[in-house]
Amino acid sequence: MFPTPIQKASAPARLAYKIALPIALVIWLFPLIGVAVTSLRPASDLAAGNYFGVPSSIAFENYASVFRDSPIGWYILNSFKVTIPTVIGAVGLSCLTGFALAVYGFRANLWVFFAFVAGNFIPFQILMVPVRELTLKAGLYDTTLGLVLFHVAFQTGFCTLFMRNFIKGMPFALIESARVEGVSEWQIFRHIVLPLMRPAIAALSVLVFTFVWNDYFWATVLVQGQHAMPVTAGLYALNGQWVAAWHLVSAGSIVAALPPVLMFFLMQRHFIAGLTLGATKG
Amino acid sequence: MAEVSLSNVKKDFGAISIIKGIDLEIKNGEFCVFVGPSGCGKSTLLRMIAGLEDITQGALRIGGRDMTQVGPSDRGVAMVFQSYALYPHMTVGENIGFGLRMTGHDKAEIAKRTAAAAKMLQLEPLLARKPGQLSGGQRQRVAIGRAIVRNPEVFLFDEPLSNLDASLRVQMRGEISRLHQDLGATMIYVTHDQVEAMTMADKIVVLSAGRIEQVGSPLELYHRPKNLFVAGFIGSPKMNFIAVDARPHDGGIEVTLPGGPVLQLAGSLAAAGKMTLGLRPEHASATGAGDAVLPAKVHLAEHLGSETLFFVGLADGTEIAVKADGLAPERPGDSMQIGFPARACHLFDGGGNAVLNGDLTR
Repeated sequence: MFPTPIQKASAPARLAYKIALPIALVIWLFPLIGVAVTSLRPASDLAAGNYFGVPSSIAFENYASVFRDSPIGWYILNSFKVTIPTVIGAVGLSCLTGFALAVYGFRANLWVFFAFVAGNFIPFQILMVPVRELTLKAGLYDTTLGLVLFHVAFQTGFCTLFMRNFIKGMPFALIESARVEGVSEWQIFRHIVLPLMRPAIAALSVLVFTFVWNDYFWATVLVQGQHAMPVTAGLYALNGQWVAAWHLVSAGSIVAALPPVLMFFLMQRHFIAGLTLGATKG
Repeated sequence: MAEVSLSNVKKDFGAISIIKGIDLEIKNGEFCVFVGPSGCGKSTLLRMIAGLEDITQGALRIGGRDMTQVGPSDRGVAMVFQSYALYPHMTVGENIGFGLRMTGHDKAEIAKRTAAAAKMLQLEPLLARKPGQLSGGQRQRVAIGRAIVRNPEVFLFDEPLSNLDASLRVQMRGEISRLHQDLGATMIYVTHDQVEAMTMADKIVVLSAGRIEQVGSPLELYHRPKNLFVAGFIGSPKMNFIAVDARPHDGGIEVTLPGGPVLQLAGSLAAAGKMTLGLRPEHASATGAGDAVLPAKVHLAEHLGSETLFFVGLADGTEIAVKADGLAPERPGDSMQIGFPARACHLFDGGGNAVLNGDLTR
């Protein structure tokens, strides 16, 4: 087997591995550990300059005060209001576009596909001004709907690429045999292709969810008021007007990071590969 | 009534012509096999009949109705794919009933027909399983069940047995033949395996490079191949071809075999020339019985138990196969006398067309 499994490597190599792995792990996770520790640090520690030491006490009240003293609950709700419709919209649309591009050999097929792919290469920054103007004129500026529409439009490009390739990988005979059986195209999509796309839908949902949830750029460009502010942009408001409340920002960050993690574990069991096992020979 | 008729059917992919004009009549209830080497267009032709490929030119009629422009779902055909194409997320029962469910049959009717198909194919204990839990032969039966449940007038099979192992293939071959007898439907079957074609077909269509080489019953193709291609394709092991000089002689044909022996064949020949003599391994005699005898040297002996297959070299270096008794003692390097019976010899002219067929009747 290549590479040689570490269990079979020489003794010094095994020792080095056992030492290096935890060190690498800690370095890797250091920012995360830092935020987690800070979120439990009482404000007095920060005032006293104890940024990296052991907290003088475990301050769970940071979490309580984040919810009590700031509209973070509202921000999180806004984030859900942006993220969930975006996931449904982008994944739903891309199931349809992916099916069309994978199954039908119409004339401009490849060009349309390239257009979807090429859209991914446009840097967001150069779109900042035109998109802001667009949403402003459309009356969608400073609304969650504006954010949703923008995110759906931009996520659909990548999602289509993903879905099209996934459906292309399915045995085409499944579709052909359904056609011969007299099944309509919509029924083929609904009853054959869609159920087999479950792993792709799950993977893409988590991906889009995480990406849109963590989006900061468009949240600050397209939203100004508290009423539509997602949690990523809202977190910053936790800092006091005059003092940086890092313990509160950290606690808020931990709370804000939870939904994507939960989403991952929720969708995990759908990732099972090999759903098409047994469709064809083998 | 569902006869299938193709008239001057052509198929081009861009500038490349795949099917170059096929005229064919398949009678109602006939078991017709398309056979040919890979790339000859037999699967494409089947897919054109199914409606999965457009017909570039020509006309297709099924049951007397013009189907050239009709979509696959409206042709009244059922197709079994080489890969089986079972829906992996549905149970066997759901797979079989899916087409009926989607075309708006009521539940009781679907259940009845699914049960009947399952009974016919001995799938009853498997109805609740998913395709992933089935063996290759069982999957194949489900694929066939999905076809018969719709009571189609025409069945299309696209190399359905090529993914099965040898013994299962023989068994399924019998089952499909039995199914054909029970249902009496028209069946069109594509294979590259001439044994499948010989054993199952009422009518064999030999295809090569997008054209029909010959159409006929299995025995007709075996005994009276029209040309070298068909002669070489039908029969296993394949027919021996030997380059000879032939000339008209005394109201018959005189053929000079490699090394000098002369063979007299009945029949007539317009002019002398270089020709190809064809003789099947099972008709050549390893004991030297025949109308002409050639000395040969054994290159290879394959002992199959019931028979022995010798590959022997003639005087001019041509290697031919000879079927002999299972207990034949010769070993590689030994000399043999090979007998050529005149009534089994085929003669092909320079263009590869048959001048004379050794159909054992002369």
